[in-house]
Amino acid sequence: MPDAIANPQAATHAFPKCVRIESKPHLYCPGCGHPEVLKALGFAIDELGIQQRVAFGIDIGCSLLAWDYFNLDTVETHHGRTIPTMAGVKRSNTDAVAIAYVGDGGAYAIGAGGLLNAAVRDEKILVIVVNNALYAMTGGQESPTTPPGMKVATAPKGADQYYIRAPEVIRSVNPSAFVARGITTVQPALRQLMKAALQHQMDGKGFAFIEVLSQCPLNWGTMGEPEKTFNFLEHGLAEVFPVKRY
Amino acid sequence: MQDAFNIVVSGEGGQGVLSIAKIIATAAWLQGKQAIYLPSFSTEKRGGVSMAFARVGDAPIRFPRFQKADMCVALSQRALERLRRYLKDDSVLIVNSFLVKDVSAFAAWKPRLVDATTIANEKLKKPRTFNMVIMGAMLRFIPGLTVGGFDKALEKQFASKYAKDPALKELNDKAFGLGYELAA
Amino acid sequence: MAEKKFLMGNEAIGRAARAAGARAMFGYPITPSCEIMHFWAGEASSDRGKEDRLVFTQAEDEAGAGFMLIGSVLTGTRAFTATAGPGHVIIQDAFSMAEAMRLPIVAFVMQRGGPSTSTVIYSQSEVTLACFGGNGNGYRVVYSPATVQELYDYGIKVFNVAWKHRFPTILLGDGYLAKMMAEVELYDPSERGIVMEPTEAYILERTRARRLEDVVPSPEIHIRHADGVEYACLRNCLNLEEEALAVNTEIKAAFEAAAPEIEEHETYGDASAPTLIIAHGTVSAAAKTAIDGLREKGVAARLFRPITLNPFPADALREAVAGAKRVFVPESADGQLARIVAHALCGRAPAPFVEYSRPSMGILPEEIEMLVLDAK
Repeated sequence: MPDAIANPQAATHAFPKCVRIESKPHLYCPGCGHPEVLKALGFAIDELGIQQRVAFGIDIGCSLLAWDYFNLDTVETHHGRTIPTMAGVKRSNTDAVAIAYVGDGGAYAIGAGGLLNAAVRDEKILVIVVNNALYAMTGGQESPTTPPGMKVATAPKGADQYYIRAPEVIRSVNPSAFVARGITTVQPALRQLMKAALQHQMDGKGFAFIEVLSQCPLNWGTMGEPEKTFNFLEHGLAEVFPVKRY
Repeated sequence: MQDAFNIVVSGEGGQGVLSIAKIIATAAWLQGKQAIYLPSFSTEKRGGVSMAFARVGDAPIRFPRFQKADMCVALSQRALERLRRYLKDDSVLIVNSFLVKDVSAFAAWKPRLVDATTIANEKLKKPRTFNMVIMGAMLRFIPGLTVGGFDKALEKQFASKYAKDPALKELNDKAFGLGYELAA
Repeated sequence: MAEKKFLMGNEAIGRAARAAGARAMFGYPITPSCEIMHFWAGEASSDRGKEDRLVFTQAEDEAGAGFMLIGSVLTGTRAFTATAGPGHVIIQDAFSMAEAMRLPIVAFVMQRGGPSTSTVIYSQSEVTLACFGGNGNGYRVVYSPATVQELYDYGIKVFNVAWKHRFPTILLGDGYLAKMMAEVELYDPSERGIVMEPTEAYILERTRARRLEDVVPSPEIHIRHADGVEYACLRNCLNLEEEALAVNTEIKAAFEAAAPEIEEHETYGDASAPTLIIAHGTVSAAAKTAIDGLREKGVAARLFRPITLNPFPADALREAVAGAKRVFVPESADGQLARIVAHALCGRAPAPFVEYSRPSMGILPEEIEMLVLDAK
């Protein structure tokens, strides 16, 4: 067992300062992409020195396991409602740095109206969507980002043809928003995106949106096979969902 | 037991039914009466039959609706049919005779025929004065309301409009007067 | 200075929120509640409103409005929404969360016809939804006003009740009250000796007057410290049945402790009259006129009017029914009030009570008179 898992207190250097070390090891499955996204966010918060200003909203699904992850003021809700919740926080306390942390199901299916209209209204919040191409917590159902042909619990013969490329949609309704897609496997770039997106909000510039392509070995059926996992992430997904600034 | 003078106005959507009842109630209140106004609004802004209620009295009025009206105002033929259930033996019935052609079934109430449409369009050349003609006709029968008091109330109500367009006041007064005379 | 005005009910509500020092409104258009939002949009965009840092946001739907409202309240802002009918159904999602975390949201609900889209006009069909909607157990405060003046009076009060007791608080009006115009006396709460309850943020608050642990159910809150700073972490999602039971038990205890102070009712008419009418809201106003009419006809009747539908003034009701020989429950819904009444009486009614259910129809004073006279 690596030292950092046996004795997380000794491994603080590996974590952002705003991380709650007592909660490690984290609650996610082995190999999950969420902790990678959270770490990138945590480092960006550290670098900007905003730990005491952050309102961290987390959605239902695997996102909610982040409730334990940080020493940040945190609120958990469900069904993409995290986005309007954070909009309400920010409008009422303009000094807050409001972050909504949501999965692809919450953001693009049940909470799509909330996300799209937050972008249209140019809410001064950061929305981070962790896109692992399916509903993970509820057992691997099809989501709006499941790529064509992928076999999931609710599409056993393979998902159908269409899917949503959200950054492209967000850009089309909000020309001035910060819009980007990152990926868990390129950490320095992801950290830079997080920092720039937070800075966008702190400068009062309006809506910021980052989708992060992330792996779910459990529901992808690749647990214990990192090569397959990352091959699907970096090729299967990244070729459908381009990783870039928009 | 009756705690107020009850008025119901009905007509086609867009005819100003709601404004008529609302202005009557507001003016009564401004004149020191107790009043309640209730629109019977519907989902459509135009095109349906609309109806509005006004109650005017001396004691506080608790409830906005009533079974029978002391005054029924019909601005169109089908509105008249709708008002039938509100009529009692001594109700005052005022109709816009331009659109209400057949009052034979309502002869018992001796309908006051007021061609507000023709007066507004042809005599005054201002279709928007239609409401004032109708209100002029109504006022004569509402106990406790005087022309002078109503005038003052209107001036207060329309203060900003009159300030912008002094000619409007004159026109409104004229329309009101014509309605009042016609209902005699 | 207090002044009398001739106002539409919805505007009276907007003015009450302003007088109460509310700062934010989040809403979605739905008849018959729209003018509350129009009023606030006007206030927020005025110079005075900007000075007061008023917030107004028109949401994408009632879920958006409800959760923005929750976000606003989390920052310690006196905030509210207004809705009706199908919108009231959608917003129960947010009300449930507010119930779970004891968030003092305020909602003005103006009932329209039901079920579903139905009419935009009037009903009392949202009583069950307002009191017990959501996937919880009805730990929320619901007031039923009967006049436009009460929209103003209770429109101020709801903010204080919400923030003092930390429960979602609903003013349950209806389309008649929303759209009618009547005389209202407007006043500043301080002129009446009303002290506005202080608000306090749930998150991003570093010095607290009231411990958050004393408000939010314990399984849902985790206070963390790092470098001498306190961080509040709130969650709805629980892992164990026992945690969910604990949440409900704690909220229930707080609700029951606050209930005696919140419960409110009114009686009208000859206290010894054997005929008792139980009605709420607009129908109770009609019932008062009916009681006056009956008195003229030599028939004594009286009214018991619950002003709070939740918590329900059950003890007062039991006292009121004690001497009654005949009990009538008229309402513009099918037995929604009657069900609450039956539960409160638990078979202790001295006589079988007569339900007069007119779903989504106005009930005239004359109808209530007939109801009593026919039963004689």
